[in-house]
Amino acid sequence: MHLYIPNIRVVLERGQAYIMEALAQNKKHRKTATILSIIPGLGQLYNRQKLKGVLFLLLAVSYFVVFSDLLNIGLWGFFTLGTELPRDHSIFLLVEGIIAFIVIAIGIGFYLFNLIDAFKNGRKRDEGFALNSIKEQYHSVIDKGFPYLLVGPGFFLLIFVVVLPILFMLFLAFTNYDLYHSPPAKLVDWVGIENFTDIFTLEIWRDTFFSVFAWTIVWTFTATTLQIAIGIFLAVILNQKDLKFKGFIRTLLILPWAVPAFVSILVFAGMFNDSFGAINNDILAFFGIGPIPWLTDPMWTKVAVIFIQTWLGFPFVMAMTTGVLQSIPEELYEAATVDGATIMQKFKSITFPVIMAATAPILITQYTFNFNNFNVIYLFNEGKPAVSGQSAGGTDILISWIYSLTLKSAQYSKAAAITVLLSLIIIVVALINFRRTKAFKDEGM
Amino acid sequence: MKKFSAVLLTTTLALGALSACGPKDSGSSSTGDSDKKPEKLVVWEDKDKSAGLKPAVESFEKKYGVKVEFKEMPLLDQQEKLRLQGKTGNSADVITSPHDRVGPLVTEGLIEPINVSDDVKKMYTESSIKALTFKGKLYGLPKSTETPVFIYNKKYMKKAPATFDDVYKFSKGDKGGAQYGFLANWTDFYFASGVVNGFGGYVFKDSDGTLDPKDVGLATKGSVDGLTFISKWYKEGLFPTGIIGKKGGQTIDGLFGEKKVASVMNGPWSFKGYKDAGVDLGIAPMPKLPNGQEVKTFVGVKGWNVSAYSTHKKWAQKLVEWITNKENSKIRFEKTQEIPPVNDLIKDPVITKDEGAKAVAIQSQHGIPMPNIPEMAEVWDPGANALQLVATGKQEPQKALEDAKKSIDENIQAKHSGK
Repeated sequence: MHLYIPNIRVVLERGQAYIMEALAQNKKHRKTATILSIIPGLGQLYNRQKLKGVLFLLLAVSYFVVFSDLLNIGLWGFFTLGTELPRDHSIFLLVEGIIAFIVIAIGIGFYLFNLIDAFKNGRKRDEGFALNSIKEQYHSVIDKGFPYLLVGPGFFLLIFVVVLPILFMLFLAFTNYDLYHSPPAKLVDWVGIENFTDIFTLEIWRDTFFSVFAWTIVWTFTATTLQIAIGIFLAVILNQKDLKFKGFIRTLLILPWAVPAFVSILVFAGMFNDSFGAINNDILAFFGIGPIPWLTDPMWTKVAVIFIQTWLGFPFVMAMTTGVLQSIPEELYEAATVDGATIMQKFKSITFPVIMAATAPILITQYTFNFNNFNVIYLFNEGKPAVSGQSAGGTDILISWIYSLTLKSAQYSKAAAITVLLSLIIIVVALINFRRTKAFKDEGM
Repeated sequence: MKKFSAVLLTTTLALGALSACGPKDSGSSSTGDSDKKPEKLVVWEDKDKSAGLKPAVESFEKKYGVKVEFKEMPLLDQQEKLRLQGKTGNSADVITSPHDRVGPLVTEGLIEPINVSDDVKKMYTESSIKALTFKGKLYGLPKSTETPVFIYNKKYMKKAPATFDDVYKFSKGDKGGAQYGFLANWTDFYFASGVVNGFGGYVFKDSDGTLDPKDVGLATKGSVDGLTFISKWYKEGLFPTGIIGKKGGQTIDGLFGEKKVASVMNGPWSFKGYKDAGVDLGIAPMPKLPNGQEVKTFVGVKGWNVSAYSTHKKWAQKLVEWITNKENSKIRFEKTQEIPPVNDLIKDPVITKDEGAKAVAIQSQHGIPMPNIPEMAEVWDPGANALQLVATGKQEPQKALEDAKKSIDENIQAKHSGK
C-alpha cells in the first residue's frame, strides 16, 4: 500500500534546484519572479497574473493575521508546556502546539508552491510562451485540481482525527504527565526519554514489561496460527467434491463469525467458570475429567483465551480461503494426479502456495490484530488471574496493561511510552511482512 | 543557494522569536473567583438520583434567589468532564464523587477545600467527615454512605446470626436447606478488607487521620490472621472456587437470586436486585468475627465537592451546606434510599424502621472509611492477587501477603514518588 505523500525533502530539493537554476543562468524573468515571491504573490504580480498574485498575497497576509495568535501561543506552549498556574494548562498547550506545527507545515507547503509557481511562469516568459489567462488558469485549476478538491476535505479531516492524536500520544511519551503532574494543580514538563529508560531500568517496570511482552508474542503467534491453520484445513475439507451437505456445514462453521464477538466472549467466560461453568461441569465431567481451573490458573486461562480466539477467528480465514480455492484451476490437480502426486503433495505444492499468495497480507493483519486484541483478553478475565511478583495479570497483553495503567493508575506518560514501543513493533513487523509478501509485489499497488 | 539558506534562516529566526513570546498577560488574577451573588450555579448529580436533589434545589432557589441547574451524570464522567471542560467555564460548580476519589481529585487540583464551622461538621458521622478529609483539609460534605452488610434469605435463615462462628456452623450443617450457607466475594479486596481490618490488619497506618502510604500493614500479624480466616472458607469447600475475582460477585448475585444461597455479604446497591428476584430478604449488620471484633468493612461516602474551576466558590459551598442539611438529607433518603451519614437521622425512625438502611447505618459505624489517598489505587490489584492465590490454595497467607505488600510498595514507589 504505497501512499504517495509528497516527501518534504524532495520538495525542498526541487525548490532549491529551481532557485539555483534561476540564479545560475541569467534568465531574467524566472529569477526576478522567484525572488519577488519571497513575499508570496509579488512574483505572480510581476508575471502579470494579477488575480493570482493578489490572491496569494491575501492568503499570505490572512495566514499571519488568522494564525499569528495560534502560532505564538502554540509554539510557546509546545516548548514550555506552560509557565504559570492556574493560567496555563499544559495538556491543552501541547495540543495547541501540535496544531501550530500542522498549520506551519501547511504554510510552508503553500510557500513552496508559491515559489515554484513564480519560477515556472517566469521560465515560460523567458522561453517566450504566453502565460495562461485568468480563464485558462481557472480551467487549469478545475481540471488539474479536481482530484485534490475531492480528496482535500478527507485529507483535512485525517489530519485532525488521525495525525493529531498520534502526534499527541507520541509527544506525551516524552513528558511526565501523570497523577502528580497533572493540570490544573501542576504543570507538565518535558522529561526526554526518561519514561523509556524507566521501563527498561527500574525493576518493577522492566519485569512486568518483559513478562507481559513475552506472553503477548506467544499469544499472538499461537492464537493466530491456530485460527489460520484450522480455517485453511476446514476450507480444504469443505472444498472436497464428494462432500455432502456442503452448504449446511459451511453455514454451521461460519456461525462463530456471525455472533458479535463480545457476546461470545462473555458467554465463554461463564462457560469456563471453575465451579459453575458448563465446560467443567458438563463436557469434561462427561469424559470423566476432573474440573480444570480455567479462570484461576494462569496456564489454563492462557489455554482458554487461545482456544476462544481460535474459535472466534477461524471462520473468517475459512471463508476467505474457500473463495481462493474456487479459483484454482482443476487442470493443475489433474496434471498432478497424472504425475502420481499424493494428496499431501498436491496440498503442499498447489493449494497451499496459491492460498498464501492470495491471502498472506490479510493473514498478516490477523497477527497484528491479535497482537492488540484487547476484547478477548479483557472481557474473558480482565487479564487476570493474579501472578505473584508482577503488577499485570497473568493473561494481560501489552494493550490491556496500557489500559489499566491509564485508567487505574493515571500513568499517562508511561502508558504513552509503552504504546510507542508497541506501535514500533507493529509498524516494523507490518512493513517487513508487507514488503516480503508476493501479493503486494506482483500487483505493485 | 545562499539566498535560499538566508530565507530558511530568517524563517527559523522568526519562528524562534515567536516561540519566545507567549501570552502577554501575567495571569496572576485569572482565577476569576468572586463572592458576588451568581446568576446561577450548576450541579452535577449522580445517575438516576436527581429526585433526591430537586426539592433541596428548589428551596435553595426560593431562599437565596440564585438559580440552580442540575444535571445527571455518572460519577466518573463528572470527573472526566471537569478535567476536560473545567477551563472553558463550561462545567459544574458542584460535583458529586465517591470519597476515595478525593485524594486523586485534590492532587490533580480539580476540587477545592471548603470552610465550614465545627457545628456543621458535627452534624455528620465522624467517619464520613474523615473520609472527605485529605491532608488535613475538608473537601466537601457527605451525601450518602454505603458499606457491605449481611443479607440473608429468610426462607433458609430465621434470623441473622450474631457471630461468624454461627455462620460457620450453619454452613457446615444443613444450611437450612440451601445449597450454600454463606457466600462472600472475599477474593475482592473491597469485601475482604473488612475481615482483614477486623483481625487487626490495616492497609495504610492511620496516624491522627492522616494515612501513611509508606506504612502498608498488609503483612502484619492481623492481616495474616484475617487471610487465614478467609482461606478456611475456601479450603473447606464452603465457598466454591468459581466465585473468584470481579466476576465472582456476579456469580454470587446469580446464585442468591436463584435462592440457592442462604446468606451473602453485599452492599446496599444489591438490595433492589435481590428483592426483584423474589428473595424474602433479611438484612443485618455483619456478624462478629471469632476474635470478638466487628467486621470493619470499608465504608464508602459519596460527597458533594466544590469545583476548583467554579467562579463562585462561596456560593457553591453555601449550596453544598444547604443540600446536605438535615431536612434535605432526609428528603434524599426518602426519595433515593441513599443513607445520609447524618447523626440525627441515623436514630430517626425514617431510617430505623427500614431494615436495610438501619443495617447499613450501623455497619457504617463499625467500618472504617476506605482510604482516600491516591496510593490506594495500587492496593486493589495486589490485594486481590494475594486473596486469589490464597483462595485457590496456591500460596500460604503469610507469603501471599508479603508478596502483595512488596508489590504495593514497589508500585507506590514507581508511580507515586513524583510528588
